[in-house]
Amino acid sequence: MAKYLLKRFFLMLPTLFGVALVTFVLIRVIPGDVVELRYSGDRGAVSQEVIDQERHRIGLDQPVWRQFFTWLAGIVRLDFGTSMWTGAPILQEIKLRFALSLQVAIMATIVAVVLAIPLGVLAALKQDTWVDYAVRIFSIAGLSMPSFWLGIVFILFLLIVFKWLPPMVYTPFWVSPRENLAQLIWPALAVGYRYSAVATRMTRSAMLEVLREDYIRTARAKGLVQNLILSRHALKNAMLPVLTVVAIEFAFLIGGLVVTEQVFNLNGIGLLFVQAVAHRDYTLLQALVMLVAGMFILVNFLMDAAYAWLDPRIRYR
Amino acid sequence: MRRRPALALVSLLLAVLVAGVLPAAPQDKPRAGGELVFVVPSEPPSYDAHQEETFGVMHPMAPHYSTLLRVDPTDKTGTKPVGDLAESWTISKDHLVYTFKIRKGVKFHDGSELTSKDVKASYDKILRPPAGIKSLRKEAYESIASIDAPDPSTFIVKLKYPESSILLNLASPWNWIYRADILAKDPHWYEKNVNGTGPFKFVEHVKGSHWVGKKNPDYWDKGKPYLDGYRAIFISNSSAQVAAVRGERAMIQFRSFSPPERDQLVQALGNKIAVQESPWDCLNFVSMHHEKKPFDDKRVRRALSLALDRYEGSKALSRITLVKDVAGIQVRGTPFATPPAELEKLAGYGHDIAKNRAEAKRLLKEAGVPDGFAFTFKNRGIPHPYEPLGIWLIDQWRQIGLNVKQEFIEASAYHPMLKRGDFEVAMDFQCGFIVEPDLDLPRFVTHSDANYGRHKDTVIDDLFSRQGRSTDPEERKKILRQLEKRLLDEEAHVIYTLQWHRIVPHLAKVHGWTITPSHYLNNQLDTVWLAE
Repeated sequence: MAKYLLKRFFLMLPTLFGVALVTFVLIRVIPGDVVELRYSGDRGAVSQEVIDQERHRIGLDQPVWRQFFTWLAGIVRLDFGTSMWTGAPILQEIKLRFALSLQVAIMATIVAVVLAIPLGVLAALKQDTWVDYAVRIFSIAGLSMPSFWLGIVFILFLLIVFKWLPPMVYTPFWVSPRENLAQLIWPALAVGYRYSAVATRMTRSAMLEVLREDYIRTARAKGLVQNLILSRHALKNAMLPVLTVVAIEFAFLIGGLVVTEQVFNLNGIGLLFVQAVAHRDYTLLQALVMLVAGMFILVNFLMDAAYAWLDPRIRYR
Repeated sequence: MRRRPALALVSLLLAVLVAGVLPAAPQDKPRAGGELVFVVPSEPPSYDAHQEETFGVMHPMAPHYSTLLRVDPTDKTGTKPVGDLAESWTISKDHLVYTFKIRKGVKFHDGSELTSKDVKASYDKILRPPAGIKSLRKEAYESIASIDAPDPSTFIVKLKYPESSILLNLASPWNWIYRADILAKDPHWYEKNVNGTGPFKFVEHVKGSHWVGKKNPDYWDKGKPYLDGYRAIFISNSSAQVAAVRGERAMIQFRSFSPPERDQLVQALGNKIAVQESPWDCLNFVSMHHEKKPFDDKRVRRALSLALDRYEGSKALSRITLVKDVAGIQVRGTPFATPPAELEKLAGYGHDIAKNRAEAKRLLKEAGVPDGFAFTFKNRGIPHPYEPLGIWLIDQWRQIGLNVKQEFIEASAYHPMLKRGDFEVAMDFQCGFIVEPDLDLPRFVTHSDANYGRHKDTVIDDLFSRQGRSTDPEERKKILRQLEKRLLDEEAHVIYTLQWHRIVPHLAKVHGWTITPSHYLNNQLDTVWLAE
């Protein structure tokens, strides 16, 4: 087991290096740079002297390979540098937004799991009945609607019916739980619903598969009660693929709520991504991509470890 | 004639009442207290206005600072300089020496007293920035020979030559006055810290979220500010900005909303919302590359301007985007604006569009441009007002037999493209902070960094220089009309489209704020108050 995990761990490093290289090259292919953008604003007539001075200050006048290795050397020391737009340390910029994104991701996951698992199990048990059809319609609707669109509908509904809008400024949960939830419950519902649709379908299909297994038939033949068969034998085995979906979606939510965060004006990682792209803030964008890639890779590693723990066939393969 | 003492008495009484002996209506008398919450669609990259270009610095931070002069906050044209830290000033007879008396008893937010030494240090930083410090607007002060602070309450500006715009230039909202001692120790200090003499003190800035200021009880203008504080919320998404005002989470957004957004807010909030509108000192104009055929021919350039039905275009476009007025080289209603009768004489500004287009076709034929001639028009990839304006231009040019392909260039790559001269015809842009020919027109002189069309015109250079040095407003107007005729008509170096139009809907309870043609002005908030 330890050898397997070690092997999986070291496989993460070339993946991260690949992500770093591709990210670094790709964002420099996009035309324009942070200096042009910052100083060719409304007047559009800043002198070349200012442009050159600023390029030199943030190191954009250095050869690209040197910029890459300087950045890479920083990453090894966990120093992501400073934002080219604000000049603030990147870790500080990310830390500021991470709590909000993490909370939305956790809340959306709770919404998704609370909806998906009972509905998926119910749909599998009542296959091809009206219950199954209703659950399938509910989940297909969730898959079809982008979460940002649902967010806009929530906002319009609240504005038109209740003449009320969620708070625009983030309040940490420990400062005011009420204010915090009043702001974050809506994006969590919008995102959680779409997220639950994926998980519901996965739960249903996994349950259907497991319920047809020999050991379930055996359990039934032995006279075990239905609830015990479901909870002890079926659901536990059906949860492996569901957990994978839930975990990968969770990793995605940390930086993937790009439009939803804009709709609700949430000061999270997704909005920071948008700003970093819009400002051509190379250093910040590189760090954000590394963060999200790191989250995915870490979640995958943990899932692999969980699989290996749950299913011995994997670690001995 | 019989005298009527009773009637005279009643008239006198009425006159006294009208003159304001009775208390003013509640909504007319500034009320102290409350927090103004407003939306800012951008965010400050750094805290030093001398080095920044975006209104994202101005809107949340201007309330912390004072300037030497400021633009009168009640003047809708935004062109009247009044004292801010300067209590008064005198001008020498030869218009070369400006002596400012600095207010006494003004305190920085850290408690230290402001003197002329601070004003000088701030202007030194703007005019001659130390190594490693940028000053984005130092070119605007080329006329200044020296500055001096001979005593704590006197600041002197000496010019190399008379410059009629110097007072307005010294009223620039960007020229915040910093503390000399701090600048001497660390000229970068103001990039990350706040310490001004303005009506509000800094409380907090949460990046990506909000900026908070609280009333400065030691503000020099006693009784002001009226507000207890303010909170600027950073919202980049325009739908979220509208929702914030509609849901009364924010009271105002000081830049502008689009006409459909204004209509949406008015419809939703009814009499709870007030709307202020103004011509905006921002403009999209068309640059034509003078080194590329056939745009090296002034007949072709004139034809492109003659093709535009600006008046009908104004009606259609002002319903959907941020443009409205048909104007010349200055914003309508400002001191050097072109009178309508004169404007109509310029190529493409007359009302007889059939005649204009017939003339355009004749000019193209004369220049040897065939019917159906194709060229590419490069436009900036920003929805408002670039895209609708681009579509309108192409349609107008099609009507004189030109076949135009539009190519959108991503915003950050646009300026380098213009600088490289990698275009035949392209949309150009400008936004000023005060409507003033010296600030709005330098880009049209031959050697300007922003002369992207690369025209060479010594006549324009001479006219620009003369208007700036003329101290007689009437004479200056005459020179400006000549410059305008040459720039937009005879040589048609560039084609002005339509003036931007600024629309600021705000909750009706917000009082004491007057819209101006610039979104960089009037952001100190000292005059703003809330009715409830």
